[in-house]
Amino acid sequence: MRKGLLVTAILAATAVTATVAAPSLQMPLGPGSLSAAASMMTRTAVIVSLLFVWIVAALAVTLASGREVRYSSIELRSAPLHCFALGLVTVTSFVLTAILFSYLIPYLVGLPLLIALGLFAFLAKIYGMIAVFHAIGTLVAGARSRDDLAQRRWLRGDLAMVLIGVLLLGAIRLIPIAGTVVWSIASVFGIGVALATKFGRREPWFLTWRAAEA
Amino acid sequence: MTDDACQRYTHDPEAHAGHLAVCEKCREIDTALSTVVAHRPISVGALPLAPWEQATYRAWPLVVIGALAVLAIAFALCFAAGISLLRAIVTGMSAAQLRGTITIAADALRRASLIWHVAFGFCFFLVNTVLVLLLRRAPRGIDA
Repeated sequence: MRKGLLVTAILAATAVTATVAAPSLQMPLGPGSLSAAASMMTRTAVIVSLLFVWIVAALAVTLASGREVRYSSIELRSAPLHCFALGLVTVTSFVLTAILFSYLIPYLVGLPLLIALGLFAFLAKIYGMIAVFHAIGTLVAGARSRDDLAQRRWLRGDLAMVLIGVLLLGAIRLIPIAGTVVWSIASVFGIGVALATKFGRREPWFLTWRAAEA
Repeated sequence: MTDDACQRYTHDPEAHAGHLAVCEKCREIDTALSTVVAHRPISVGALPLAPWEQATYRAWPLVVIGALAVLAIAFALCFAAGISLLRAIVTGMSAAQLRGTITIAADALRRASLIWHVAFGFCFFLVNTVLVLLLRRAPRGIDA
């Protein structure tokens, strides 16, 4: 029953998310003309500039709360399907809630709610992507044994893993269309893991009611 | 040997070490315990690597080199494209397209018939119910 519900939710949310997050078909597919080449150059410059911002943000967050990022990264690697399903449903929920709050803007209450939702979504995306960077960096360049770890000079620690992950995903993002799709999927994973671990704090979102025992 | 002497040895073996020379029963127990401990060598290298081992190590040279390399490439690309780095970052962080899409969807919903309002409310309720159900699951993480 629960698995069936989960699969249905994944399929429904995938359809909505794919519709919202799909790359625009109007983007240049190749440098066929001078203007297309210039457009692609500008696009690459924007992506690499944003990559630098991502590096700064990832290093700052990892330095400030490395343990939380590590916990989220472990969660992402141990339960990827749950994180992805949760990410899809969360993104869908964000979109639907944003539409509802935009609908409520004429009634004044919508604007502060929309701002709060945007802020929460922004924080979830930033934190989650950093956890994804850490997970990718650990999967690709993490030490497999204690001897391997002891031999390493620089390529160890949370900062190095996050940096490797940023650079790898950033390089993939430069690929037209496929890069955008991969980055979007990584964002879904990131938002999912941010919420699954409550931003690395591993606390329950909801308190369970239990009758008091005498 | 008396049980009192054995009990005194059991309570404080180091203070009554001489008891082993006169009590065969205690000597046998001591030999058995020493054998069990001695035959269980702990090889730290063979234990699985924990995720937090060396995790707080800060590889500053790698980080600085990586960040500066990306910054240099970004500067070069921005120079080639004829835009400033700040302008490129602001352009990349703009969420105008998403905002526009949501505004259009909200306007369309406002003009839509009652059945669409009900359908939207049903979708909203369904998705958020699934979200709450998924959020109730405890993270696996380090317990996996």
